Amino acid sequence: MAWGVVIPDVVAGLFLGAFFALVAVGYSMVYGILRLINFAHGDFYMVAAFVSYSLLAMVTVGTHLNWGNVIWVGLVTMVAAGALAVCVERLVYRPMRRAAVLSLMIAALGVSQVLENGVLNTPGWGSNYLAYPVTPPSNGFNVASVHYTWTQLAIVIAAAVLIFAVYWIVNHTMLGTAMRAVAQDRVAATLMGIKTDRVISLVFFIGGALAGAAAVMASLYYGQINYLMGFSIGLQAFTAAVLGGIGNVAGAALGGLLLGVLESVGTGLFGSQWALLFAFGALVLTLWLRPTGLLGERVGNRV
Amino acid sequence: MKISPAAYRTGAATLLMMATCTGQMLSGTASAGASSSTYLVGVSEPMTGAEAQAGTEIWDGEVLAANAINAAGGVLGHKIVLKEEDDACDPQTSENAANKLVSLGVQAMVGGYCSSAAQPAEPIYARAGIPNIQVAANSSTLTEAGYHDVFLIDPGGGLQAEEAAGFFTKVLKVKSLLIADDQSTYAVNVAQLTQKDLAGSSVKVFAIEAVPDTDQDFSALINTIRADKAGAVYWTGYFAQAAEFVRQLRTDGLEMPFVTADGSVDPTFVKDAGADSNGTYATIAVLTGFLTGTQANAFDKSYKAQFHSQPGPYSAYGYDGMYALADAAKAAGSLSPGKVIAALHKLKFHGLTGEVSFAPDGSRLGAHFVVLEVKNGQYELAPVQPPA
Repeated sequence: MAWGVVIPDVVAGLFLGAFFALVAVGYSMVYGILRLINFAHGDFYMVAAFVSYSLLAMVTVGTHLNWGNVIWVGLVTMVAAGALAVCVERLVYRPMRRAAVLSLMIAALGVSQVLENGVLNTPGWGSNYLAYPVTPPSNGFNVASVHYTWTQLAIVIAAAVLIFAVYWIVNHTMLGTAMRAVAQDRVAATLMGIKTDRVISLVFFIGGALAGAAAVMASLYYGQINYLMGFSIGLQAFTAAVLGGIGNVAGAALGGLLLGVLESVGTGLFGSQWALLFAFGALVLTLWLRPTGLLGERVGNRV
Repeated sequence: MKISPAAYRTGAATLLMMATCTGQMLSGTASAGASSSTYLVGVSEPMTGAEAQAGTEIWDGEVLAANAINAAGGVLGHKIVLKEEDDACDPQTSENAANKLVSLGVQAMVGGYCSSAAQPAEPIYARAGIPNIQVAANSSTLTEAGYHDVFLIDPGGGLQAEEAAGFFTKVLKVKSLLIADDQSTYAVNVAQLTQKDLAGSSVKVFAIEAVPDTDQDFSALINTIRADKAGAVYWTGYFAQAAEFVRQLRTDGLEMPFVTADGSVDPTFVKDAGADSNGTYATIAVLTGFLTGTQANAFDKSYKAQFHSQPGPYSAYGYDGMYALADAAKAAGSLSPGKVIAALHKLKFHGLTGEVSFAPDGSRLGAHFVVLEVKNGQYELAPVQPPA
């Protein structure tokens, strides 16, 4: 066991966790409002990565990184991913509102397959690992002999800003109150005059947009995209959302960061092959002690 | 409605006749498809997934060979027909592909890139009694299982480990080494054999790190490498992860030699890793691009003419695999799988990748490993090779 790597691993884990957190917040919000585990959420992330890849490929000359391009492509991708999420909600989940939860989950799996195979068969995308058109510069700063790049810092700050913005919307605006009302009791919310359909669509849009932002940032940093990349991040984001308490934004963010740290520290202490075991073991332990997750609400019995 | 006994008898007889005729027709079609004028050969290779690029390169090499053989009259007058199935470099998918090929009545299988996919398919081809020629998969576990119909065109993990060990001790002369694999059969095989070869040498080998093959983030592993002050890194997994690994390693400021095994040798690695691929090394059995001689030049030219791209690292192996099958069938004077297998065991011919012949367990003889270096985005022979 190499204890000297714990601190650098915690920092690395926080960075990794930023991506999990962004995707987990979307997962969590959709679950909160519809009690639906949207397995296709990871694939919104994947489609967003490909869309941003094509947009950047169109405007990039050589491999020269133009931050202005990256930013507007990022914003367009966020909107596109949000729009995709809204489309899926309207076409697939809304007609199934009264269906059994299991049917909804299977429909979500179906959407996931459609998106994956759609990307697989789109000319210009396909099955290969595609190299992202731009590579961020690697200049940065050193802390205790570990090198961190300005890009990494920018990504973490951007993720934090986005998550905080969503947290603020959900907890301090009228719109957020409407979302929480729909999450608590959909019928009562309708009776109170809230347009539940619009609120639900908006939640999907926000979730999709966050996944889109995560996709652009991860593609920029890791430099590789692939039509199956949604599966891994979807699974880990879902785990993070459950760990933190599914249904609330702060919980998802905390869960994401925590999962990233657990995986990195697990790798450092026990070796790469034990990392996932360590992380999921921690999940099981947490759920055993706190079944609703770290920040989850105590679910009482309604009389 | 009452059916009379006579009607029952007629009905039953008719059904029986129909069943027999259909059965004959179906089996007739299967064997007719294979023996009348075509030689049906299955090709199981990754068409999807991280290794899809390598699969395409192997397929193209085989297509080139099959076309050349057919143009020269085919195998004993029969035209080769190739049937491609996706193994996705995944054990489960590969089993399905193998079952599908066998049910289609293929008379041989020439293909395969990932050892982890090849392993569970071995018993399926063996039960069908057809030659199982693996063109790129080379884990030594494939020949240790005892199947009589397995032939590896790519020299095995043991030779690669020796080459790597020689490179680390005699050429790079590093004091410590970190070996990482992706938990797949071939990668674990090379990693373990290399660790064994380096035991007791001047190079200290840390515990082998097994990285899940869906991992994109290597930062924790890189922290470990930095803390351990590893002198070099040997990655035995595939090219998509190799590119990620070396990029993150160099971004974090670590400049130690980065060596990969042959599963990471692919133009995709150079493309995805960009400038960070320069100066990396790789162990691989002789590479298509370095082949010289009239045979190789002709192969290079016709490959480019037909597919408008450079042959991949394993295209020549696909080509030799196809020729091995065709030559064995001609030597046996029959397409019957049992006779072809016997002829393959006695086969010796001069292929693109060198003298092709097989040891009794099916492993490749007559080819050797070299060390490559990436310079300016191109694979070249490393200036200093480990002693033979």
